[in-house]
Amino acid sequence: MIRKEAITIAVEKINNQPIVSANGFISRDLFEVCDKNSNFYMIGSMGLASSIGLGVALKNTKKTIFVFDGDGNILMNLGSLITIGITKPKNLVHIVFDNSSHESTGGQLTATNKIQLSKIAKSANYKVFQAKTKNQLVKIFQKIKFIPGPIMVIVKIEKGRVVSKRINMEPTKIKNRFMDSLKK
Amino acid sequence: MKELTQKQFFNFLFNNGIENFIGVPDSTMKHFIDEGFKKNKIIITTREEEAIGIAAGMSLSKSYSLVFMQNAGFANSLSTITSLVQLYQIPMIFLIGWRGFLKNDAPEHTKIGKIQPKLLQALSLQSKILNEKNWKASCHWALKLIKGQKPCALILKRDFID
Repeated sequence: MIRKEAITIAVEKINNQPIVSANGFISRDLFEVCDKNSNFYMIGSMGLASSIGLGVALKNTKKTIFVFDGDGNILMNLGSLITIGITKPKNLVHIVFDNSSHESTGGQLTATNKIQLSKIAKSANYKVFQAKTKNQLVKIFQKIKFIPGPIMVIVKIEKGRVVSKRINMEPTKIKNRFMDSLKK
Repeated sequence: MKELTQKQFFNFLFNNGIENFIGVPDSTMKHFIDEGFKKNKIIITTREEEAIGIAAGMSLSKSYSLVFMQNAGFANSLSTITSLVQLYQIPMIFLIGWRGFLKNDAPEHTKIGKIQPKLLQALSLQSKILNEKNWKASCHWALKLIKGQKPCALILKRDFID
């Protein structure tokens, strides 16, 4: 499964609930697969998607907030797992698309093939699920509907092959339409 | 700033629309943070950038935040401020403890303390330096700015040596 396929499955299940997506190819894929007002594309501030998602989750307890993260991104901000673990948002689903590489910057390897992110997340009070196939990912989405967060879904993806277009939207427009979508 | 003033400063912001106080502690603002703990309004993060991210998420939900940190942490956060807070125009108040303000402060604060005003200037982040007399007027100024969707900074000088 490549990232774009995994994102296609995820957005279908997530429907109109808010998504905060990490910078780089993840946001680009999401933008190309399914652009929506309820998507917040974080184009800078690498590593902070889960922190922004936590802020949104703590203030919108009637919605389920999804974070689209990458392994490189979360490794830059492992402290975020600690803060999520102590604030325990029931409505936060943290999806990590894991290709064990910094794909957006040229495919340099990350440490997630040597260090298990799932163990770190578990000790930070997350409930952790892992998918290697499309079928597993679909099943996980059915399961997590009934489980309080924080939840991490680690989706193992293959590297490369498809690069989506850049996000050609003004950051303030991304912000304003996301804010409007939260009111609904 | 005196203990009592720091408590009044917290309560003033809390009673005037600041709902969240997030950051990394600094001894310069100990009493401010302690007062926040009493009101159960403090989130301590592992790093300053993380606090800014959380505050941004809350701001997107129309809930205003103050992010507190020492000036060393402010330096850590420069890229987050430019590529998140300023790029998307997300309002929040930074409260920055200014170590290295006194010339005989600990050596690790000397250089960063010296360039602190220049860093603010380089970012074009509007700021006011707080004292016993101007703190309330400075709060009014900051509240007005964030209600106009602009971020700003309040600076608390470290005017004692421990």
